[in-house]
Amino acid sequence: MRRPTLLVRLATRNLRRQLRRSLLTSAAMVLGVALLVFSRSLASGAHEDWIEAGVRLGTGHVAIQAPGYRARRTLDDRLEASDLERVRSALGAPAVARHVVERTTRLEVQGLASSANGAVPVLVMGVEPATERRFSRLAERRVEGDYLPADDPLAAYMGRELAERLDVGPGSRVVLTAQDATGQVVGQLVRVRGIFETGLPDVDERIVHIPLATARSWLSAGGAATTVALLLDASGAVDPVARALDEALSPGRRIAVLRWQEAMPELEAAVRMDDFGDYVFHAVTLAIVALAIINTILMSVLQRTREFGVVRALGMTRGETGAQVLVEGVLLSATSGLIGIALGFLVTWTFFRNGLDYSFLMEEGFRAAGAVIDPVVRPHFDLLQLVGSLLFVFIIGVGASLYPAWRATRIDVAEAMKFEA
Amino acid sequence: MTVVPAPWWRIGWRNVGRNRRRSLFTIGGLALAYCAVVLMTGLSRGMIAEMIGNGTGILSGQLQVHAVDYLPERSVHETVGGQDGTDVGALLATLEEDPAVEAAAPRVYGGGLVSAGDNTVATELIGIEPARERRVAAITRTGLEGRLPRSGENELWIGREMARQLAAGVGDEVVVVAPAADGSLGNDLFTVSGIFSSGLAELDARLAFLPIDALQRLIVLEPGRIHEVAMRVADPWRAPAAEARLAGRLESRFPDARVRAWTEFQPEMVDYAALFESVEWVIVLVVFVMAVFGVANTMLMATFERRREFALLLALGVTPSGILRSVLWEAVALGGVSLASGALLTFPLLAWWHRAPPDMSWLYGGFTMAGGLVRPVLRVEYPPGMMVVAALALFGTAVIAALVPAVRAGRVPPADTLQGR
Amino acid sequence: MSPTRRRTTRVLPIALALLGGAPQILRAQQETPAEIVDRVDRLLRGESSRGRVTMEIVTEHWSRTLEMQISSLGTEYALIRILSPRKDAGTATLKAGEEIWNYLPRVDRTIKLPSSLMGSSWMGSHFTNDDLVKEHRLVEDYDISIAYEGPRGGTEVWEFDLVPKPRAAVIWSRIRYRVRRQDLMPEWARFYDERDELVRTITWSDYRTTGGRLVPLAMRIQPADKPDEHTSIRYESLEFDVNLGPEDFSLRRLREGTP
Repeated sequence: MRRPTLLVRLATRNLRRQLRRSLLTSAAMVLGVALLVFSRSLASGAHEDWIEAGVRLGTGHVAIQAPGYRARRTLDDRLEASDLERVRSALGAPAVARHVVERTTRLEVQGLASSANGAVPVLVMGVEPATERRFSRLAERRVEGDYLPADDPLAAYMGRELAERLDVGPGSRVVLTAQDATGQVVGQLVRVRGIFETGLPDVDERIVHIPLATARSWLSAGGAATTVALLLDASGAVDPVARALDEALSPGRRIAVLRWQEAMPELEAAVRMDDFGDYVFHAVTLAIVALAIINTILMSVLQRTREFGVVRALGMTRGETGAQVLVEGVLLSATSGLIGIALGFLVTWTFFRNGLDYSFLMEEGFRAAGAVIDPVVRPHFDLLQLVGSLLFVFIIGVGASLYPAWRATRIDVAEAMKFEA
Repeated sequence: MTVVPAPWWRIGWRNVGRNRRRSLFTIGGLALAYCAVVLMTGLSRGMIAEMIGNGTGILSGQLQVHAVDYLPERSVHETVGGQDGTDVGALLATLEEDPAVEAAAPRVYGGGLVSAGDNTVATELIGIEPARERRVAAITRTGLEGRLPRSGENELWIGREMARQLAAGVGDEVVVVAPAADGSLGNDLFTVSGIFSSGLAELDARLAFLPIDALQRLIVLEPGRIHEVAMRVADPWRAPAAEARLAGRLESRFPDARVRAWTEFQPEMVDYAALFESVEWVIVLVVFVMAVFGVANTMLMATFERRREFALLLALGVTPSGILRSVLWEAVALGGVSLASGALLTFPLLAWWHRAPPDMSWLYGGFTMAGGLVRPVLRVEYPPGMMVVAALALFGTAVIAALVPAVRAGRVPPADTLQGR
Repeated sequence: MSPTRRRTTRVLPIALALLGGAPQILRAQQETPAEIVDRVDRLLRGESSRGRVTMEIVTEHWSRTLEMQISSLGTEYALIRILSPRKDAGTATLKAGEEIWNYLPRVDRTIKLPSSLMGSSWMGSHFTNDDLVKEHRLVEDYDISIAYEGPRGGTEVWEFDLVPKPRAAVIWSRIRYRVRRQDLMPEWARFYDERDELVRTITWSDYRTTGGRLVPLAMRIQPADKPDEHTSIRYESLEFDVNLGPEDFSLRRLREGTP
């Protein structure tokens, strides 16, 4: 076998010489990778957004609660002020803090909302207005009035369906009744300050936000809370953050740390379904990319029968001929792959870094449900995915060259010369 | 010299067979590309249909019939046919006659409570005909323990969360209390026949199912008085048309009945569908682009490699237009054969998966999606539009891509090409 | 408070002249509106009482008449047992503090009412479970002023305006209360929401002396949005200061019999 560097030089020269053929072959791989990067990043972005929208409306990527709360959901299972102190300090740890984007504290209780014209069972959430406003985005779904202002202890923020059933509007009085921390049934006056609409009946009919301080005094709960909800920068951070917090907070068995999959199993089911669809589409996309590449490479190399005949006649061994084809394949795949990644990244970033807004695809009068899920998908780049796409195309490209390389070793020189160039 | 109109199409056709390998590649590539695009679109539509089916199929069904004034207050007195009720059997038969309706189930609703020992839970009671309901509401398939209640018996089917709150299990006795239609307080003892776990907290905590006759007895409604008929339509997009047809059918015998499709009573599903459709649009586009590119690439390559052949023909006196025409017919022949093969490959696959969607739950191990409500299957719905569009697009691509090099070849003096420049 | 005091003192000499100084009336003249209302409020509750009541309920879809036995102890305890019609006979409701239990004879079970059902109607009537449970006196939750003083339909009355105190957990934005001046008997109460629309009216009538007190024996609740519906109760018999203690309002008593 001649020196490998010679093979490489020959390979490069061949590729350059047959520029059109090389470009056509390469183009298949470049486009393939670029499209993979584009579609994966948007799909990944949509996936992240979907999860984020879901956890914002619930208990965040990670929820910190008293151990029995998730099962029983009563005020008896609450975090006392001392527990909250421990939580606060645990959240200060750098490994955790750098992933936490938002954090909100809530005191929740099931109760009854009554007005002069109706009574409806509700979930009352005592929240810190400043953090909750950013966390749940319910403040953005406002259709009337304001979100809870800092200086109004009797403010209440409720869904439009609930307001309609109670026949109330901004400024109306509503009485909330629930069992407090001592088991007594207690009432609290609130005034409707703002009304929201998400389009989700479960939210619009049952959720009421009031200031945390008001909830605490109403329910004689001192400095307690039922949930501390955390929003993280990416769903990938859920595991490490949950683990770190669990280590810090589990001693004493007073505090439980839940990942969103445990705290919101319905969301997890929905996300899994989404994942499933994703896998299927990804598989078909990969198949078509592979197909285009294989087809192109096979075609291009099998056209060169005569050329190989000449080369063999001039003294190259079978092995070297085959090796050369393989090397060409490797070089082409590698370069194309890298260019493709760069191209895909560039195009996606340039045109869609602010998100692919496909609200134009939807009809007029898109209902409020769309307001919960932003019709704007931001690309999410995952290094692992990028490398994976590159590797995939590389392997396909090289793999596709194997058969032609093998064929090249089997050429009968005399026969080959009969073929047209 | 008189030019005999040469049968270019015959030459074109023969060229296909002449270079078998090249033709096979092209045919294979185009056929598979067609298959991928059509399959992808079919899968996408199938996913959306599955998603809507899941959302509407849990309990509400895709079509519903009520008395005109039943919604939105859902008064227990507003039964179909008014105070006198209706011929339920005849109504169900009429509804099931429609080709789109697969099954219809009658229901009675009542609000009340269920109590066991010291525990009481506010409940929505749904009276069902178990055999019919099994074919309509997917929630009937989420049984965890025990079984659905039997007609004629005082049996109750409750959610897991309710069972937990009541501390009741299968076989236990519970009290069901509901205000009756005559003003009295209906109450009776029931036995828990089974427990379901839909994975949806609201349903698991608030719903209790019992035989329709048992509920009618409890709340003093005659056997002919029902509140709702829920129907299952396999392809949710056929529901609106079915609504129109049924409205006409019911007018004479059941004048006060109103039919609604899910697009009216669960409008948020329409929005979700639009949302998913627009995301998948991106993915389908990616596959389409890659397919088109793959075909173009192949054709370009195939034709470029034949420059010598064209030059020879030109030297022998064939006009450039003659070459073009033979290439055109060749491309047409190739395209035709490819699409035929593609169709042969795709349609049976589509039909198979449409009838019997392959179950992909093996991908998910022990995880049950939403209590078994959601099945990860590879569902496809026929995409007739895309079948035509893809065929035209790919065919067109093949022809254009074949012609481009032929046009160019016609311009170069044959001597140059034959010399190898 | 000063404006109202001025009003009462102005009225004082006229009242004295008219009514010859019956002690009840003189006392009334010296009381503030809040005190008057409180007195009326407490009058209707009594210390301990026992009686038989007929309740007529008329709704859009059905009408019924219930006969029941009611016992009460202050504002904290009440026990109601239905005597007729036969379908509901034996059904009983116990209120203790802010909790309600129902006894159902057909299934022989006692059920505690969850708080989410507090807004629902009691036995199909226009009273809600919440109405039964209400402990707070009007004076605790409302600021009371006199809106009108003078004759109405031949009787001298006060019409009080009750407006909720700033933090009172009550659903009414305003209650208008008409009370007869001569005997402090309530005539009607009108309940308004904050659009100042009438939501319901309670009317009292048939004033008799029973068990040593003057009380209205009949009461009627009328929802404003459904003028054809109403719930009317009438005491067929009523005793006060009967021998009842908290032990008579136990779950066991709920099941077994009326004290």
